[in-house]
Amino acid sequence: MKTTAKQYAQYFYQIVRDKENEQLKDAVKEFAVVLKNNNDLAKANQIIELFVEIWNFEKRIVEAEITSAKKINIKTEELLIDYLKKLSKAEEILIKQKVDQSLLGGVIIKYRDKVLDGSVKATLDELKNKLIK
Amino acid sequence: MSTTKDFIVEQLKQQIEGFKSSVKEQTVGRVIEVGDGIARVSGISEVMMSEMLEFTSTNNAQINANNPEFNKIYGVAMNLEEDSVGVIILGDSSIIKEGDEVRCLNRILEVPVGETIIGRVVNPLGEPIDGKGEINVEKYNPIEKIAPGVIARQSVSEPVQTGIKAIDAMIPIGRGQRELIIGDRQIGKTAIAIDAIINQKGQNLKCIYVAIGQKKSKVASIVAKLTEHGAMEYTTVVLACASDPASLLYIAPYAGCAMAEYFLDKGEDVLIVYDDLSKHAVAYREISLLLRRPPGREAYPGDVFYIHSRLLERACKLNQDYGGGSITALPIIETQAGDVSAYIPTNVISITDGQIYLEPDLFYQGNRPAINAGLSVSRVGSSAQVKAMKKVAGKMRLEAAQYRELAAFAQFGSDLDVDTKAKLERGKRLMEIFKQGQYMPVSIAHQILIFFAITTGLLDNIQPDKITEFELGLYKYANTSAPDILKEIIEKRDLNDELESKMKKLIEDYKSTLEYIK
Repeated sequence: MKTTAKQYAQYFYQIVRDKENEQLKDAVKEFAVVLKNNNDLAKANQIIELFVEIWNFEKRIVEAEITSAKKINIKTEELLIDYLKKLSKAEEILIKQKVDQSLLGGVIIKYRDKVLDGSVKATLDELKNKLIK
Repeated sequence: MSTTKDFIVEQLKQQIEGFKSSVKEQTVGRVIEVGDGIARVSGISEVMMSEMLEFTSTNNAQINANNPEFNKIYGVAMNLEEDSVGVIILGDSSIIKEGDEVRCLNRILEVPVGETIIGRVVNPLGEPIDGKGEINVEKYNPIEKIAPGVIARQSVSEPVQTGIKAIDAMIPIGRGQRELIIGDRQIGKTAIAIDAIINQKGQNLKCIYVAIGQKKSKVASIVAKLTEHGAMEYTTVVLACASDPASLLYIAPYAGCAMAEYFLDKGEDVLIVYDDLSKHAVAYREISLLLRRPPGREAYPGDVFYIHSRLLERACKLNQDYGGGSITALPIIETQAGDVSAYIPTNVISITDGQIYLEPDLFYQGNRPAINAGLSVSRVGSSAQVKAMKKVAGKMRLEAAQYRELAAFAQFGSDLDVDTKAKLERGKRLMEIFKQGQYMPVSIAHQILIFFAITTGLLDNIQPDKITEFELGLYKYANTSAPDILKEIIEKRDLNDELESKMKKLIEDYKSTLEYIK
């Protein structure tokens, strides 16, 4: 039976979970050898992707994408991180920033499979639909 | 001038003031695979079974800046798997691409319902397709709903007058009943359903015709016929035609039923025709196989019985505490070469309260509608007939059954006794009476009159080939010279000696005006 990328990722997480420095390097090497012997090196990219997912889930890290009309300053960013920590019950928030001027104002926050649309554009669209009705 | 301007500005201000925007958390996912009207979506971890999803297409060629609604396509979550969700796409799947965003709408698929959909042709999502403009509705009903329970129901007691003599007399249909119409292709299954709809004028019964996988040309001619007979005033047509994706075909009957339930909840009576459920099963088979559900007999999935049973179970007669409304269902099944023992026909036969079986042999002999009276049954029986009809039809059923038996037997023998001969002659005339043209429903009073005539032997001295002519003449004669008798039949709904003698006199009076009767 073939091992799926997900199974590899889970296995890899288990072997590197609480190792450091030299030990960690050895474990990674070992894993790469296993992959090579199983002829599964092609799955490496997929495995890395899934591994990041598992790692983030276990360590309670949330990657969030914040899109805004202008670049947000550090103060707002800290506020948003605090807010996200409460919302997603995470311990660490990794933020990716994006600027999209068509939003006019406000922010759109994406984390995991959730979206919070607090942009001025969305509000205006909502108002438009309401007025049409 | 300025005052109106101020007024408009003032009104706008008021509306905007009351507006509060709220930031809602939405669950989104991404399409990882799309094809054959099915999409696999990752993310959307909190999606419900059969929840409505919205695809936002990013395909530049299709983006219509003026109308963002144009880019919105809906889907329904059908398969919830470990790390993806199988979604059926309700619409054009060709503009959805891998990586497109999918939003959960947090509600089960709904269709618009209300009085305004009457007289319209809509698709299974309730969008108008008859070119008569937008439909304004306030209410939406979920397409899937659990059927009313035992407490809310009542046994069927009122009749649906189909206007087809053979059905009203021998296979009566009651309000709240489910009566299957089954037969091969091209022998008048749809014709029976359409005649039944046409005859509901002034009968206080709303009609919904659900066309599943039909040709557009056929549906267009049906709508034209209904309009011509004034039947569109109380009828809605739900159309999922042959060129629509299987997902729309699959939801069409549920959507039609959701529209019917609006009237049921208001305590009204509804007649709903599903034309036809074999194509519905085929559409569901297609969806299931594409979703990789395991196939069973005839490659249908394991729950193919349930899709029809839960649909037909929603037909019901509610008791007065629950409004007293009813939904009568007339599902249609097309058989292949008369094979009623195939998978889907046997399933639906076992669900319904009886069936009308149409036979090709009868059809080609010229007995139209080609109803096989022996194999057709109505399990509700005569409790769904008015008393007057019960009196005349009970005797007639027996005579028809005797005739069928004797006719087969009499082919071999030459010398028959007087009694048998009389029965055969009576039977021949009876068969003539059951013949009826399309789009020519007969009112209940006329039906009782002609059935009374045959059972009392008043037609025995008319040649069988003259029966049809006599029948039509009698209706006309009764309409002009004795409308009070017809009125009395309808009002009393029962026959007494006095009324019977009046009817007898009417028929004899008419007979005396004819030359072809010696």
